[in-house]
Order: sequence, then C-alpha cells, then structure tokens
Amino acid sequence: MTGIILALLLVPLFSALLVFSIPNTRKELFRPIGIVFSLITFTQSMYILFSDYSKSDFQILFRFEWIQVYGLEINLGISGMSTLLLLLSSLLVLLSLLSIGKDHSESKGFIGSILTLHFAINGVFISGDLISLFIFFEALLIPMYFLMGIWGGDNRRYATIKFILYTVFGSIFIFIGTVYTAVISYGVNARLAVDFETLSTLQISASQSKTLFLLFTFGFLIKVPIFPLHTWLPDAHVEAPTAGSILLAGILLKVGAYGILRVSIPFFTEGFLEYKNLVAVLSVIGIIYGAIVAIAQIDIKKLIAYSSISHMGYVMLGISAGEFLSIEGAIIQMINHGITAGALFMLVGFIYERRHTRNISSFGGVKISMPRYAAIFLFTSFASIGLPGLNGFVGEFMILMGSYNSYKVLTSIAAFGVVLAAIYMLWTYQRVFTGPLSNEENKNLQDLNLRETVSIFPLVLLMLFIGIYPSYIESFVIQEAGNLSETISLFRSTK
Amino acid sequence: MTVISDILGFNFVVIGPTLTLLATALILLFVTITISTPTFVKKYVTLFGILSTVFAVFLKFGLFLSDGVSSYFSEKILLDEFALVGNVLVVLVLLFTFNSFWNTSSQIDNKTTEALILILMSASGFLLMVDSENFIMLFIGLEIGSISLYALAGLNRGDQLSNEASLKYFLLGSLASCILIYGIALVYVSLSISGVYETSIAISFIGPENVPLTSLIGLIFIIVGLLFKVAAAPFQAWAPDVYQGSPTGYVGYMASVAKVSSFIVLARLSAVSLTFIIDKFNLFFTAVIILSVLLGALFATNQSDLKRLIAYSGVIQSGFILSGISFGVYGISASIFYLTTYIIQLIGIFTIFSIISGQLSSNFAISNLSGLFKENKFLTITFSIFMLGIAGLPLTSGFVSKFILITNLWSYEKYLLVTVLMLSTVAGFYFYLKPIWVAAVEKTDNTIEKIKIQNSDKLLISTLAFLTIYLGLLPNTLVNISRWMVENYL
Repeated sequence: MTGIILALLLVPLFSALLVFSIPNTRKELFRPIGIVFSLITFTQSMYILFSDYSKSDFQILFRFEWIQVYGLEINLGISGMSTLLLLLSSLLVLLSLLSIGKDHSESKGFIGSILTLHFAINGVFISGDLISLFIFFEALLIPMYFLMGIWGGDNRRYATIKFILYTVFGSIFIFIGTVYTAVISYGVNARLAVDFETLSTLQISASQSKTLFLLFTFGFLIKVPIFPLHTWLPDAHVEAPTAGSILLAGILLKVGAYGILRVSIPFFTEGFLEYKNLVAVLSVIGIIYGAIVAIAQIDIKKLIAYSSISHMGYVMLGISAGEFLSIEGAIIQMINHGITAGALFMLVGFIYERRHTRNISSFGGVKISMPRYAAIFLFTSFASIGLPGLNGFVGEFMILMGSYNSYKVLTSIAAFGVVLAAIYMLWTYQRVFTGPLSNEENKNLQDLNLRETVSIFPLVLLMLFIGIYPSYIESFVIQEAGNLSETISLFRSTK
Repeated sequence: MTVISDILGFNFVVIGPTLTLLATALILLFVTITISTPTFVKKYVTLFGILSTVFAVFLKFGLFLSDGVSSYFSEKILLDEFALVGNVLVVLVLLFTFNSFWNTSSQIDNKTTEALILILMSASGFLLMVDSENFIMLFIGLEIGSISLYALAGLNRGDQLSNEASLKYFLLGSLASCILIYGIALVYVSLSISGVYETSIAISFIGPENVPLTSLIGLIFIIVGLLFKVAAAPFQAWAPDVYQGSPTGYVGYMASVAKVSSFIVLARLSAVSLTFIIDKFNLFFTAVIILSVLLGALFATNQSDLKRLIAYSGVIQSGFILSGISFGVYGISASIFYLTTYIIQLIGIFTIFSIISGQLSSNFAISNLSGLFKENKFLTITFSIFMLGIAGLPLTSGFVSKFILITNLWSYEKYLLVTVLMLSTVAGFYFYLKPIWVAAVEKTDNTIEKIKIQNSDKLLISTLAFLTIYLGLLPNTLVNISRWMVENYL
C-alpha cells in the first residue's frame, strides 16, 4: 500500500515533467500523455477504494525523516474521506483533460500545469501531518497561478493576484498554527512531531485549543470559502479557463473543508465547541446570500460560482452542527458538489468554446440546436438543486436532518436555499435553452461531439448512481464521521 | 611550513585563505604592469587563486580538527566554527560569482586587472573579518573589504549612476565605519578590552548587571556598524541606490559577500560576546527587525526597478536573519541556514539579471523582463524558482528556512515579531510574483534581444536552482551543518 500512496504523488509529478520535456513539435502528444497518466492515478485510487483502508479512520502508512535534529517527519497516509476525494480529483483531472478544446489541449504549459495541480491535490489528501499538509496546500497555488494567469480571461491579472493574496493570507494563519502546535508538541515529545497520530494523543489546554482552532479554521475557511471571505471565488471562476474552473470548484474548494474535518475538529475540539455557532451562522448567511446573488447574475459562470458558495455553505453548516448524520452529509455533499459543479463548469465551457460568450441574454432556444446538451444541462441542474433521486439531494437532506437538532432556526432558514437554488438554476435553464431561437448565431450551434459527451457522461452516471444508491458512498465515511461525532460529544459532555 | 611557523610563533595556515587571495592579487598586479598579459592569463590566474583558496580552507579544516577552537597571532585571529563556515561561505560566493564578475571585468576596457584585484582584495578583507578575534582586526578586515567594494561600485566610469552609487556607498559606508570604530573605542575605554572572547570574560567577571552603560553603547555601535553592511533598516538607505547603480555583474558578489561576513560576525558576537547580556539588546534588535521588515516590504511593493526591488527584499531578509541571530543559539543556526539559502538565490537572481541586461548596465526595469519566456525558457524558469524561493514557497529552500526560524521565534514567545514577519511574507507574494508575471505570464508582443548564455553560466544557474529545490526537499545536511556550528555555544 505504501507504494500506491507514493505513486499517487510521483505519477502525476513524473507525467508533468514528461509533458514539459516533450518538444513543442509533438503537440498532439500532450493530451494523450496527460490522460494516460491520470488514468493510472485513477486506477490506483480505485485500488485503494477496494482495499481495507478505504473504510477506516486516517492511517499513516509512510514515514520519512525530513529534518532529523528537529525530529520533523513527512507522513503520508489514507482514510475513507481521503479515498473518496482522491478518486474525485483523479476523475475530474481525467475528464477535464478530455473536455478541453484544441487551443488548450495542444499547449504544453496548460497540460503540465494541470498535472502539477494534480500532484499537489493528491499531496493534500494523503498528507499525514501538518507540515506536509501545509506544503501541498501552498503548492496548489503555483499551477493555479499559471493556469489563471496565462489562459484566463481579460481581467485575469486582478483575479489571479486576488486569489493568490487571499489564499496566502489564509495560509499564513495555518503556518503560525502549525508552528504553535509544533512548539507545544516539542514540550511533550522533545521533537517537533506534528503527525496526526501524535496530535490525537497530545494534551492541549482549552485556551491553546481555542487559539489553534481559530488559526487553522480561519485559513481553511478562506479556501472553502465562507461568507465574508468569499469575494475571491467569483472573480477567480470567471477569469479561470474551463479546466481550471472545474478543478477549482470540484477539488480546490474541498481542500478547506477537508482541512477543517481533518485538523481543526479532531485536534482542537474545545475550540470547535466554542466557535461552532459563529461558523454555523456564517455558513447559513453564505447559503442564502450566495443563492440570492446567483439569481441576479448575467454571466453563467459567475452564477455557478455563487451557487458554489451556497452549496459549500451547506457543507460548513453540517460540519459545525457536529452530529454524526450532519458530518456524514457534509462529506457526501463535498463529493456531490465536486461532481455537479465540475459538470456545470464543463458544460459552460462547451458552450463558451462555441459562442465565446457566457452571457445569459445572448442565448435562448438553444434546446432546438443542441438537444443533447440541453438534456444533460437540465439533468445536472436538477442534481445541483437537489432533486430526490439525484446526488445533490442526498447530502443536503442528511445535512439538514443532522443539523436540525442543534440549530432549529438556522436549519429552517438554510432549507430555503434549496428553493432559491431551484429559482436560479431553472430560470437560467429557461432563459438559455427554452423559447424561440431569437439570436441568429445560436442557430448553427453544433451539438456535443463524441469527445465532449464521453467527458461529461461519467459525471452524469455518478449523479444518478449516488442519488439512487447513496449507502455505497456512505459506507466509506461512516467510520470517520462516527469518530468525529464521538470526539465532539465526548468533549461536549465533559464540558 | 610548520617548522618556520613554530619558530616565528605564527601559524600561517590559519590566515591561509586571506594570504592566498592577497598573493593572487599581487601576482596579477605585477604581471600586468611588467609585461603585456593576454586576458586569458588573467582569467586563469584569478581562477587558480580562488581554487587555491579552496585548498587553503581545507587546510584550515585540518587545523581545526586537530586543535579545536583556538586563537592565533597573540589573540588577534580566531579559528572557530563561525570562522570556518564564514570562510567556506565567502569562498563559495567567490566561486559562484566568478563567472559573472569575470565577464564584467573583461568588458571594462583597461581596467580588467584593477577590477579583479579589487574583488580578490575585498574577499581577502572579508575573510580576515570573519577570522578576527580582536575588534581592531575586525575593523581592518571590514575596511579592506569595503573600500574595494566602494571602488567596484563606481568602476563603470562612463555611467553616471555608477559614479553616484560609488560615492553614496563610500560616504555612508565611511560613516558606518566611524560608528564602528567609535564603538570599539568605547568598549575599550570602559572595559579595557577589545576582543570577542575578552568581552564575554570581562562581562562574566564584573557580572551582567554591572556592565557600564558606556560599553553597552559601544557594543550597540559595533553592531550598528555591522548592520549597515547587511542593509538592515534604518541603515538601509544606501542599498537600493548602490544595487541599482553598480554594474549588474558585480552586484551579486558585492551584496552577498558583505552580507555573509557581517552576519557571521554578528552571529559570533551574539553567541560569544553578548551571551550574558543579550537580554539587554532585545529591544534594540526587535526594533531593527520590525523596521527592516516593514520598511522593506513597504518600499519593495512599488518599485519599478528590479534591482531596487531585490535591494529592498534584501532589507526584509536581513530582518529575518537578524531575528534568528538575536534570539537564542538555535536561532543562530536557523539564521545560518537562512543566510546560506538566501545567498544562493541572490547570486542566482543577479547572474540572470546580468545575462539579460548586460554585465555593465545599471538600471534594470521590470519591463525589461517582458517577453523573456518567449526568448529564453531556461532563464524564466530558473528566475521564477529563485523568486519563489525568496518568497518562501514550500518545496523551495526559502520555506524550510522560514519555518525553522519562525519555530524558534515562537518558542521564545515573540508573537509580535512572528506576526510582523509573516505579514511581510504575504506582502512578499505580491511583489515577488510581479516580475514572474511580467516575465512568464503576461502576453506581450515585446521581444527582447537575443540572449546568449555561456555554458558555464547555464551550469552555474542550474546548480543554484537545483540547490534551491534540493534544500527545500532534503534540507537535512545543511541543517546539521548549521547545528554543528553552534553546538559548543549552548
């Protein structure tokens, strides 16, 4: 298993280097290489899914002495939640490589950046200590910087710098938190041990726990993003190229919530109990605010970006409620949102490649010229709204069920988010796809070709599969969600 | 050799590197004034001199292994871990910058020899400085080194900026030297001593609480004289102008050699002389660190000249390094690690600048980089690596050095300092990414002139970039070396 874990890091890195080393005269090779190597990573993730580790709590499988005199180690490991997210990330990387148009697929830098991003994402989900988590968390920035900066829209400079500065500002808090934890751990273990196994047994005082929770959670919440810290996200999504948006919404937003579930709650539970109400209020504001602002958008991509803020608000509400069902729902909602938001951004990318506009008002009646596209879009919209039988329903329902005991009023308000989601998604569908073909340019639009259909189809299947048979995906997170809620209730009872 | 030195009571091995460089400079001088020498002879004489210096440093290692920490020349010259590491670093700086200062010197008509002699002399001066036990020797070494640097800054006579840089550097530098020698005098007046170890013995003898104010002021003046050389705020005013005006090919050497030797001396002062009274200097050091970091970040944000930007970033880095030196022995080892990695990145950056804009140029606007990626991918990628390294991005050496430094500061509960340093890191991402944006990301029709890179430059830059990544991934060796350095001073 250690080999598989290491290969999850090394295969994407090697493929990125391979792409970078191929001369520009062999343009046609870039995409196949990327696809083959992300297929390998996908197979590895599937292998982990069917192994014993995929249903367990986090287990460290690989240790490496990084700096001996300080006792710093690099730890890598795996858990059920990580397995699901790894699977999601390799699937989305694979599909986004498949979905991109010719102007990106023949660019060495573009494919190379996506593969480098894949390396960093895998690193985040398998890192078993705070240091390596921070290293990979920061390493995400560089490929995103180039993806957005070079292949982004007109206003990319502003959006890129905003994205980088927000994330770096947040990660500074994570960095200080890591240092603080390391120094506390030094007092007990006589070395800077910050791996998750040591941390779970480390005794920290209530005040330290509160400070550390704030430090870590603030950094992660920027990445989620939660309500007042969200402004980087719409800009980043609008300016990023399609593949960048898919990965940003599909995986990068999950990194924040993943960090809170992996670090903030289990190790600094007292701080969590102190501040969870604040997080819950902010996330409900985010749910409603994101949905209302999404209704008013005229750019489809910006609309989906705001809907992401709304959907990630559900995740944070579920996490902050701290019940077994709500945490389970939050993890499942993370996966679901990755699938639906990734699919929606991919679909927007398809039409953008044809029309070079994302303005809702310049469409209308597209259903007539692109029937297959319209059907898939409607299906994905329903999944995003949370129609029963599709994946979006599962996570949101579990979250709302689980949180109701803790936050009756907040959960009731949050439930309106589903209604608002129906308004903005269906109204968008109505304006873009139904009605007469008023715009001359929309008449000759080509329907999805084979490559595009193949790249969206797995996501559509997954929406249906998770919607019909959610207990399969649930089985991977029961253990972890159970442990988390047990820790929380243990601390709550001692308080 | 040993026999002669035994008879005279001198051990020349201990100042071997200094003597070798001096001898090389003199040979160069005599050869050039007596016969008309072809340029390649000058090159190989210089290179041979530097390589012999490497050998001389090895001999010093042998001496250290057999004798341990000891003084020579009636307690004027000291051989300890700091001296050894300082020697190694100065020689490494010479080796790494050889290519760019040779190329620069060979382009200056009629002054090639002078330039080489100045460089060799300054290196020998700085070697003497890191070897010195006595404060007067420290002053002599510093002056030999600095005066050559003043001249080097103004070597390009045709360029007005170069003249300005030289004059500014000279005037402000001599003021700093005055402060340094004044401090030495004050310490001597109040304690009747003028040595690194003597100071600590005297302080422990009279008791830390009875140290006269005069000697405290004297010690602060000595530190200020050294802080001037590393361009820590508020003594940073010369750095941007000097970096901008001096011939680009020399700036890498000038900046790094002065920083290395001054920081080594500061580290030794903090570990040895000030051990018992370091608490009294806390406020002073904290003020200098915060000022350096804030001023540096503030001014670096809106620079349009890259050399000035790097100068202000150097002010920030000085603040970082100082934050380790002034708090604890482990902090010193973290600082030495930081210093080494920073020097590697600094030399890399200035080598790249001199390749792009020509060795003798002075101004280097950020817009000069526009279109670099189209013209030369190798330079763009390595340049980005160095800049991200200075910014402190994980997977580069900059992150490791910042991490161990901040961890040390946090264990001393210096929360204010940590906050300020981390804020400057956020600001750093803004202005370190700006040149990368111009060079690699921005779409432009601008084409820059064809860049020719010599193979030796290519090898050098790739080595430095490799070291930046390697020390970020596997920093164990260098951390161990920097730990070994301070182990006896715990």
